[in-house]
Amino acid sequence: MQVLQVPAGEWLERARALRSEGWLLMDLCGFDALQLPEGDRFRIVCQLIDTETKQRRTVQVAAEGDPPTLPSVIEVWPTVDFMEREAFDMFGINFEGHPNLTRILMPDEWEGHPLRKDYGVGKVAIDFVPQPYLQIEGPGQSPKPEEAHVSVDRLGQTLTAGKPAPSEDVR
Amino acid sequence: MSIAEAVRSFEERGHGAYIESIEDHRMLINMGPVHPSTHGVLRLILELDGETVTRCDPVIGYLHTGMEKECEDQNWRGAVTIVTRMDYLAPFFNEQAYSLAVEALLGIEVPDRGRYIRMLFAEMNRLSSHLVWFGTQGLDMGAMSAMFYGFRERELILDFYEMVTGLRMNNGYFIPGGVWEDLPEGWEEHARTIAKMLPERIDEYETLLTENPIFLERTRGVGVLSKEQALALGATGPIARASGIDWDLRRDLPYESYGDLSFKVPIAHEGDVYARYKVRMDEMRESVKLLDQIIDAMPGGHFKNMDPKLMPPPRSEMAVSMEAVIHHFKLMTQGYTVPAGEAYAAVESPRGELGAFVASDGGSSPYRVHVRDPSFVNLQSLSPIAIDGLLADLVACIASIDPIMGGVDR
Repeated sequence: MQVLQVPAGEWLERARALRSEGWLLMDLCGFDALQLPEGDRFRIVCQLIDTETKQRRTVQVAAEGDPPTLPSVIEVWPTVDFMEREAFDMFGINFEGHPNLTRILMPDEWEGHPLRKDYGVGKVAIDFVPQPYLQIEGPGQSPKPEEAHVSVDRLGQTLTAGKPAPSEDVR
Repeated sequence: MSIAEAVRSFEERGHGAYIESIEDHRMLINMGPVHPSTHGVLRLILELDGETVTRCDPVIGYLHTGMEKECEDQNWRGAVTIVTRMDYLAPFFNEQAYSLAVEALLGIEVPDRGRYIRMLFAEMNRLSSHLVWFGTQGLDMGAMSAMFYGFRERELILDFYEMVTGLRMNNGYFIPGGVWEDLPEGWEEHARTIAKMLPERIDEYETLLTENPIFLERTRGVGVLSKEQALALGATGPIARASGIDWDLRRDLPYESYGDLSFKVPIAHEGDVYARYKVRMDEMRESVKLLDQIIDAMPGGHFKNMDPKLMPPPRSEMAVSMEAVIHHFKLMTQGYTVPAGEAYAAVESPRGELGAFVASDGGSSPYRVHVRDPSFVNLQSLSPIAIDGLLADLVACIASIDPIMGGVDR
């Protein structure tokens, strides 16, 4: 598979040239190279296809700046509408010229960009408060209906209720 | 109040379906995310002029569970069980695209038998997925019995999955390097029953709908997508083929062993809901023909690449050899590593090009997995075909695009 590296400044121009050669865009996705040894951190990876010659080719465009910014190619390939919105949502890549660059999969008020490598799985604290356990004598007893919301330890052990240890970031 | 402002104020007031009139007596209405004809949790914000749709904005993300991120925490084999849940009506295609991409990174071959088993399941899956489409398309057009018949035959195919993989959906059966288990005793009889029964059943379906005047009235000339629009919007699969784009990855960029099989690619030129219906029905017939060829030609030999670096030792060996137990334990807990690099592989799923972009940093879990889901891209075709149509026709349009929200939202 051929990989074509395109600088951000030339992306729109190159996209127009590629389109006039007959290349159709099949996929565009964001990429965060934070944990890789080399290369720019943010880039988009586009998969192009030529239905005449039956070839595929990959185009990578590095996005620079903070927030990382690229020109939108929506005028060249209208199909990138959702894809650029997804890359913005997941990686915070800003596509200049996109008419409606809003979050597409995450809620509008979400903070952060989940597929970034420094986003951290486990960063959102889980609201876990230990419930008081009900002591029941004899095997096979169910809690009374009015207490049914209380969790029962299957082994009948009393678990010490207390504040859970503060969760640390997994990454 | 501009339309954008109206939409914003509308969104602020919550998701309940209600109507608000704006300046020129147009109405904004909210359809979904929980609506029987949106096939899942698709939400549409519609602007209506009387009964005519003047604007249609899909709002997605209600089923987003971060599967691409979850894959990064799995080992290479384990990520199969995540991707299989994306397009849940076509689980084998997700697994296939992902496995092909990982195989490209590993630089390994799948033995003939493994490739044929994969094609067998892919074609079965195309049938079971199209049968659900047939049922829901009929149901949305008021043909309730289509739903019953479609699901009746799908059940037999799901039984076949269960017989071989142990599960009816989300099978996790294809793995990088082949498939997880060989076909069991009696598979051929079961598969032949399905291949023999379906052609006459498909004829029965056609007698229900193909020349039904009510169905024709509601689908002919409705939701027309021109060839240019389909190309610009990146539509693939039956939607593109119904608009006259003669493109099928199985024939044009063959993967697995599709090059050895002969089949036709049905296309139509009208681009309306009826053309999509015809294309899908014809595709089902072609899939049955492919099934026959695959069952006849099923080769013997290994069903997966036997490289011991990738595959656990057989059970029989583990009963007698301590080294085999250790080997199995290492592979199951840590998995194998994949050379650093990036690969993209695409398969022709029932909805179009389903591609997987996989990147490795040389470790034992994927660095990045991205799935190009055809439903996600094809959903962009909904607005152009719905606008200037009737609200009732919108239901036909959604059904004919056949979006699976699990794949759209991932």
